[in-house]
Amino acid sequence: MRYQKFLAPLAFALGVTVAGVATAQTLTIGVRGGPESMDPHFSALGSHAEAAKHIFDTLVWSGDDLQIEPGLATSWTPVDDDTWEFKLREGVKFHDGSDFDAEDVKFSIERIPVVTGPTTTAIYVRRVESVDIIDPYTLHINTDGQAATLPNDFIRLFIVSSDAAANYSTLETSAEGFNSGVATVGTGPYKYISWEPKGDLVLKKNPDYWRGDGAWETVIRREIPNDSSRLAALKAGQVDLINYVSSVDYLALERDANIDAVKGDSVYIMNLQLDQREDTPLVRAIDGSDLAENPFRDLRVRQAVDYAIDRQTMVDIVLEGLGKPANQMMPAGFFGSSEDIPMPAYNPTKARELLADAGYPDGFEVDLYCTADRLPGDGAICQGLGQMLTQVGIKTNVNAISKTIYFPAQARLEYSMFLNGWGTLTGEASYTLGGLAHSNDPEVNLGAYNRIEYENDDVDMLLQTGATMMDEAERRATYEDAMERVMADKAYISVVQLQTVWGAKAGMFEFNPRLDEDTLAFSIRPAP
Amino acid sequence: MLGFIIQRFLQAVGVMAVMSVIVFCGVYAIGNPIDIVIPPEATQEIREEVIRRLGLDLPLYKQYFIFMGNLLQGDLGRSFIYNVPVLELIGGRMPATLELVLISVISATVLGVSLGIYAGYRPDSWISKAIMAISVLGFSVPSFWVGLILILFFAVKLGWLPAGGRGDTLEIWGVAWSFPTLNGLSHIVLPALNLALFKLAMMIRLARAGTREIMLTDTIKFARAAGLSEGTILRRHLLKLISIPIITVFGLELGSTLAFAVVTETIFSWPGVGKLIIDSIAVLDRPVMVAYLILVAFLFVTINFVIDLVFALIDPRVRAGAVK
Repeated sequence: MRYQKFLAPLAFALGVTVAGVATAQTLTIGVRGGPESMDPHFSALGSHAEAAKHIFDTLVWSGDDLQIEPGLATSWTPVDDDTWEFKLREGVKFHDGSDFDAEDVKFSIERIPVVTGPTTTAIYVRRVESVDIIDPYTLHINTDGQAATLPNDFIRLFIVSSDAAANYSTLETSAEGFNSGVATVGTGPYKYISWEPKGDLVLKKNPDYWRGDGAWETVIRREIPNDSSRLAALKAGQVDLINYVSSVDYLALERDANIDAVKGDSVYIMNLQLDQREDTPLVRAIDGSDLAENPFRDLRVRQAVDYAIDRQTMVDIVLEGLGKPANQMMPAGFFGSSEDIPMPAYNPTKARELLADAGYPDGFEVDLYCTADRLPGDGAICQGLGQMLTQVGIKTNVNAISKTIYFPAQARLEYSMFLNGWGTLTGEASYTLGGLAHSNDPEVNLGAYNRIEYENDDVDMLLQTGATMMDEAERRATYEDAMERVMADKAYISVVQLQTVWGAKAGMFEFNPRLDEDTLAFSIRPAP
Repeated sequence: MLGFIIQRFLQAVGVMAVMSVIVFCGVYAIGNPIDIVIPPEATQEIREEVIRRLGLDLPLYKQYFIFMGNLLQGDLGRSFIYNVPVLELIGGRMPATLELVLISVISATVLGVSLGIYAGYRPDSWISKAIMAISVLGFSVPSFWVGLILILFFAVKLGWLPAGGRGDTLEIWGVAWSFPTLNGLSHIVLPALNLALFKLAMMIRLARAGTREIMLTDTIKFARAAGLSEGTILRRHLLKLISIPIITVFGLELGSTLAFAVVTETIFSWPGVGKLIIDSIAVLDRPVMVAYLILVAFLFVTINFVIDLVFALIDPRVRAGAVK
């Protein structure tokens, strides 16, 4: 005790932080990925938005289960077919003390297309034609036609200060203004202190936050991409909490009394996708000769693939319990998820019969592609699928590869069968079905991610009418109908819903896992 | 000498030009970076706008000549991903790699050569045998595993040293360094040790082999006959004679460690350039990859050049050759 009196000034003089001096007021989070810039409008990457949510607010907030709630906007209503009225929250102040009003919203919306990077945030405002300020707390947003899901688009639309960011709103100047902190002025729960790319993001509490008082004076978000290193930092006490504990480590943590493991559902679902083109590249007969036609165009073959998959084994054995069997492309409870879709049964005998009926009594051979480094367990699920399909006679060669190779090749339509993770980040079906299940048609901006040339005219029609329906109940029924039809066609076969794990020092924190996997300091509280 | 320098310089330019073409074509062959980074909701127009903005709509040769044109004006371009100049990005992380690598390579060399000479001078003592046994470990155990074990033992179990990161830094001439602060130094110890182990083992083996060979030569016999002390013989004659291969290996190791310390940097979350380049490859951030590899080529050519100069300094035979 006596020595501490002398040590403290000495340590200060040397510029050394002595471990243990950091108070309980500091929360250090070890995160897998961080922001790409301090400009919230630069990137639409999940980890970028996650960091930005600490400093900036959005008009519409997405809650723990991705339900939409008021944020800086208190209400929103369609006034006619192509205009939405947003009422803004009064009395909100930016970190520099200036008032938040409609001018800042208009400025932010117009700034986005100018400053965005390749992971483009222009998607958030793609439906916006123009913004009219009615009074300081009322806005009219004019859209290109009926935009029923505009509020969902706005959950990652961050509001920056129109004064602070005024001179930093071109592609050349934005990084400089925001990374230095001059323009990094938001209304969020934390103020910006410092950041370096791939390093620490240091934040200080905003005492005047409109949602109330945060629990931590200082928050440090430390980027540690390597899973083992992140866990080691937690075990060594360098960080208080980490995200994305791997499934292997999860089992060990369950037995570790010093660490709490918190499991939460993820928004990501692994879908097996079967190419529907007449000529598909990576399928052949068992003896290596060409097949007369693409077997995946036959519904019986697709059903056989579905029957061959043992989802429960996939969850219990392959994912060590970290997942749930999936029957559709979105988690249950999302806008457009149908409760009438049954959980597909595992029935290898039936699968063999269906294959024989379809004219493949000896099966055939196919190359299965997937990522091995994108989502937890993606490579392992792929291996599991390979074995299950091979057992019913579809000889499957598994290629679990880097996402750097996988995505460009997938975009060039080079695969016949691939396993793809898809997260419904907006919490509603137009995002997922509109991207995957509509036939690829740039005219109507739908089907851009339909990489199997899946085409169902009824589904196309449902998705086109659904996008313009302003009545919520009607729209919900339309998307549920579309979802049921897509899943019945079995060109997209949902396999499992992933789960993610957070690790924290035992008994110290309370927080609810979010479906979008964000780790937000504001919603983490010290345990009572 | 001047001709030698000019020749080396032209070689460097050639290597770097070839490097840039290979990287450019290689990245182009993998595919369009847009497919990896663009979010799923992007419409066709948004997508085309992004492609145009990054200049990816131009034919490859045009993209290449634009890049080279900017390069000749000293502009290596801006990172696709971070929207900051590439030089700033690499320059900001170079000091971290530099201090880590210098500390580990220099300490490995000093320690390794000393131990190696001892092991060669007294090959039959049990200490020498112990040194050689340890050097086998240094060779045969993979460094990522050693890194994890070091973290597990010193950081998690004992809690003596931090598990990763760079710790406190001190600014000297506007550049942040870890080694001058106690906390920063404690962060360097484990990654430096991890990097040094393999090099230490190699230096021990090189020095021992050289020593055993030289000790049997007439030089040493005559020196002993002349009545020089053993210490003087080791310092003046032996060390000089075994140093040529050691310096060659030192230079190559220094270069390759600077460029590719990536495994250690990843495990210890060390914010150096190795981690940067791996992250850039993952998202096909071409400006960073090309600029980095060009710098690496430059680094190797420079190091080899310096080594040739050092040879000339310590070995009169090389000097004589250069004059001819």
